[in-house]
Amino acid sequence: MKKLAWLMCGTLALACGGRPSSWDTPYTPSSQNGLTSAYGLTGSVAVLDAALERVTMLSSPSPFTLSSRSLGLGKNLVAARASADRQTLFVLSRGVQPQRTPKDERPQLLLIDGGSSPAISQSYTLTEPMEQLVLDPQNEWAVVYGGGGVVVNLNELVLVNLAQSGADALSSKTLLSFGGSPQRFTFTAAMAVPGGEPRRFLIVERDADLVLIDLAQPDRDAVTVPLPKTDAGGTASPAQVVYDADSASVAVRVNGSTSVLVLQLAAPAEDGEDYSVVTNLVDVGGQPAAIDFVHNSQGLRLVALVGNSAVLVDPVTATTQSVQMPAAFTGIRRITAELNTAADGDVALLYGANVTKIAYFNLSGAPGALYRSIESSEIGVSVKNVIDVPGERFFDHKLLETPNQQFYVLDLHTRESAPMKTNGALSLEVAPDGERVWAYNSGQLGFASVDFATLHPVSLIAERPVSQVFDIEGANGQRSAIALHLTGEISAGIGATVLDALAPSTAYARFYSGLELGGVK
Amino acid sequence: MSARFRISSLLLGALWLSAASAQAEPFAPHQPYLQASLGVRVSKVSDAGYDAFSDSDELTQVSLGLGGTLFRLQRFSLAAVGFWDYGQKSSTARGAATQLDVHRLTVGPELRYHLIPPLYLFVNVLPAFAHSSASLDDNVAQATRHARHWSYGVDAAAGAAVELYAARSEGWFRPRLWAIAEGGYGYLGSSALQLSPDEGQGPQRPAPVDLGTLSLAGPYLRVSAAVGF
Repeated sequence: MKKLAWLMCGTLALACGGRPSSWDTPYTPSSQNGLTSAYGLTGSVAVLDAALERVTMLSSPSPFTLSSRSLGLGKNLVAARASADRQTLFVLSRGVQPQRTPKDERPQLLLIDGGSSPAISQSYTLTEPMEQLVLDPQNEWAVVYGGGGVVVNLNELVLVNLAQSGADALSSKTLLSFGGSPQRFTFTAAMAVPGGEPRRFLIVERDADLVLIDLAQPDRDAVTVPLPKTDAGGTASPAQVVYDADSASVAVRVNGSTSVLVLQLAAPAEDGEDYSVVTNLVDVGGQPAAIDFVHNSQGLRLVALVGNSAVLVDPVTATTQSVQMPAAFTGIRRITAELNTAADGDVALLYGANVTKIAYFNLSGAPGALYRSIESSEIGVSVKNVIDVPGERFFDHKLLETPNQQFYVLDLHTRESAPMKTNGALSLEVAPDGERVWAYNSGQLGFASVDFATLHPVSLIAERPVSQVFDIEGANGQRSAIALHLTGEISAGIGATVLDALAPSTAYARFYSGLELGGVK
Repeated sequence: MSARFRISSLLLGALWLSAASAQAEPFAPHQPYLQASLGVRVSKVSDAGYDAFSDSDELTQVSLGLGGTLFRLQRFSLAAVGFWDYGQKSSTARGAATQLDVHRLTVGPELRYHLIPPLYLFVNVLPAFAHSSASLDDNVAQATRHARHWSYGVDAAAGAAVELYAARSEGWFRPRLWAIAEGGYGYLGSSALQLSPDEGQGPQRPAPVDLGTLSLAGPYLRVSAAVGF
């Protein structure tokens, strides 16, 4: 029968055609380095479909509805990141490698508008394939680096000026190296460098030094600052970089060292310089677990958390003052802006992954009263991370993420912390409007929302295992919760349960699946 | 004069001679009162909606036919014919099993012309009614989704039938075996592929999976063996 059918096909002289190979390419949730399955944006959820080199953008045109649109991405995806404001998804691809014809796709950085009508908003064609992508929190710059060619210059960065388009936006920069390669990047705010306009810097942490790149003039030579040796005499590596924009100060915590390196960006010392760097090494009496700049009534200070102490360093004179702490805190977060007080000093939240307390470190008032400035609370669990709440209404709230199955909603004004216990491993997703947080355990049916206004948790049980939960703004301004289902019985797929984010209930939720099949060509 | 022209001339001449020699034999016994056929229909479906259900454009269907001569005039005859074609395709769509069942019913007139008593040519134009049932094993919803539709159109074909065998019995009931081949174009309207689980299956309030539209229109060939008398 089959032979006869094929014979007849042949006699049709129409050559029975095949179908696009896309139909034979299963969807697989992305999980490789630099890529995750999905990214929550302001008005849409981007689900990567790396097998088909595309992204399926899910948006909610009206309550309980979901529309999907697939956007083609470059070939050989290597990295994707959502911008800090979640307005844009950045996708880096290597293109066709090796290139065989002039028409072969080049490496590129693609920008996708993450609003309720998602679309590709910009693309930058790169000359060489890169594999790492770093984004500026202020959305002015992106950095790509780490090529995968036969010969790779580990210290070559491509700076992408996001305010420009085309080749003019790209500037390639090779950092002078003594053997190290970029490890971490910090984009500063505009630093008030004496003798010039405020300017932003890109601080590149490498194995044994720091590089300062002036983003106002990225083509100018970068300044390399070697790190001090460890206390044991070995090569030091940077552990943390903090800065204070008003004083143009940078501090570096160094692994294996009891000293903190303080850099002061100063007026040019020689002709042809745009600025100079004055370094100062300050011994804080022990290896600090965390550092940050704060202001007290006397001016700028660097706080170093060392054991059960907080050491305050005057970055100008390098004098130190130690304050006893109720516990060995390892994390510090300035919360002055959130408290919106008119005090003459900062307030910092102290926490730690090995202590069950949090503390408020109030640096206002007379310097001699520092011992009275610590107010600690026993919360019974350690804190591994502090998550900010965006928006204007609950900006004074923090989420305290613990290593186990709890999280805390902390009201910085009232200093009340509301413990939330979950029944499994925990992932948190703060709604971009800052009104609520979603908690879920990937692979389980249960998820929940906690409204910051009432602290009332609403537990929900989906009908299929939940991979991730996102909270997006719909086209009509309504907010929708999208609980993604990316696993299936036999093969994976893209599904979602859509709920009203403001009044979540599975009694009204709508179920979508087969979204991976849309737009297959 | 090319070889191709010479061969064509010889064939036409032989056909004319055959027709002339057959003048003596009456056509009516070879114009079947009733004819039942069993065959295979192969269509080429190039619509993109078909891709989810098949890794090729071919749709093979078993074909049952029934026809009866209504009117005879020497070499010409007019018959009413009808076919039921049934085929099934299964495949996977990005890892999810899919299946398409197609029933096609065509009924209409067929005009026949006997070149010689055991050989006739025909053309037909047959209104078509098709029922398609598409299904998708939705692994995420853990349910089978379906889209079932009627669609309408018309088949137009031309072909030839050759009498292979005639029983030796006398009288009006003298079964004859025919081989029939035809080719044409089958038009069918598009139907939406909005696949949903059956009532009570899968999650609550499932939105349909939208695979666009499906049109089973396309050229086709049918070969059949028929018994007539």
